[in-house]
Amino acid sequence: MNGLNHLFLTVGPARFRLASSWQEPLDQLASLYKTYPASYDDYADFTVRLEPEKPWRRFVRPSVHISGDYWLPDAAPLPLSQSLLAAEMGMNLQMALGWRRHLLLHASSVEKDGKALLMTGLSGSGKSTLSAMLAEKGWRFMGDEFALLNPDTGMVHSFPRLISLKNEAIAAMQAILPINRFGPMMKGTPKGDIRHIIPPLNAVNRMKETAKPALLLFPRFGYDPVLRDMGKSEVFVRLTQASTNYVALGETGFRALTRFVDTVPTKAMDYQSGEQAEEMIDSLWSKLP
Amino acid sequence: MSQLYRAATPNKLIQHPLDSMTLIFQKSSGITHIVADPVPAILEVMAEDTVTADAITHRLSAGFDLEESADAADIVLARLVELCSLGLVEQVDGG
Repeated sequence: MNGLNHLFLTVGPARFRLASSWQEPLDQLASLYKTYPASYDDYADFTVRLEPEKPWRRFVRPSVHISGDYWLPDAAPLPLSQSLLAAEMGMNLQMALGWRRHLLLHASSVEKDGKALLMTGLSGSGKSTLSAMLAEKGWRFMGDEFALLNPDTGMVHSFPRLISLKNEAIAAMQAILPINRFGPMMKGTPKGDIRHIIPPLNAVNRMKETAKPALLLFPRFGYDPVLRDMGKSEVFVRLTQASTNYVALGETGFRALTRFVDTVPTKAMDYQSGEQAEEMIDSLWSKLP
Repeated sequence: MSQLYRAATPNKLIQHPLDSMTLIFQKSSGITHIVADPVPAILEVMAEDTVTADAITHRLSAGFDLEESADAADIVLARLVELCSLGLVEQVDGG
């Protein structure tokens, strides 16, 4: 990888090597991840490469092509101003396609008293924003993108990457967090406006601590507030859709997911504001066994 | 002569009941099937035997709350055809 600049990042159990033709995105990442553990041996589970689409595009209208150990052929290049998004997408992609040590659930997670609340749903459901909000209200943030389910123990492992806020969620969190917790504002990305938040320090310091899954929610933002019971079959099917490696794990994944569905209480939660969601969550949480 | 059927051996499948549905994980393919009644019951009464559809219907009426009738036989046959296409049951020659 001659000619590339390098940065090593550790997020939960996963270790990444980021290699980039440009130094700026790595400096940006190093600054946002400065509280995370440093690499002591330059080992990495995955490599993410940020390189020019064509050699001259390093200088002329620079555009970042994402590649790595695992990649999608149709990943479109991004302008250099969005290289932080490219790096985050690259890391997510490696996890989604390559991680085998845990069952990956596309879910946010927060912890209290050793128990984890998981929130999963489609993009725009508010799972990421809710996890960021709860992280400021006494919960430990464990991740806004992937919950890692240990197939041997049934415990949830933390993967506390930068929190990715989209569109309206950015202003909502800017109202309650200091500016030094935010990354750069990236407007007009393929996912809309994006701004990252650095997770609270305790989320990073305690990222090796696991939690027992205690409640699963399917939040849906923008509907009249209601909690709905869900059948286990529906939960199972939706979680197979929310997992990027369920099929790859085979019987291990099946046993991990059936145990999860059998033991973790689940509700669908419609809500119209963060405060409303917090009240509903607190009420559900207080009634858990 | 009636067609004979045989279910995949139980050690090649993991059955896991959930509310109204049952999951069947097929170890050979890694595929998870989600099935409703009477499929789990059909697989149960087939056990490891080589049997006809009529014999399955008879066993179901004996062991489960299912009246033996032409309708019941049609339902069992339709499910057997589906199970064959999924690879959970196979047709056996020589019946």
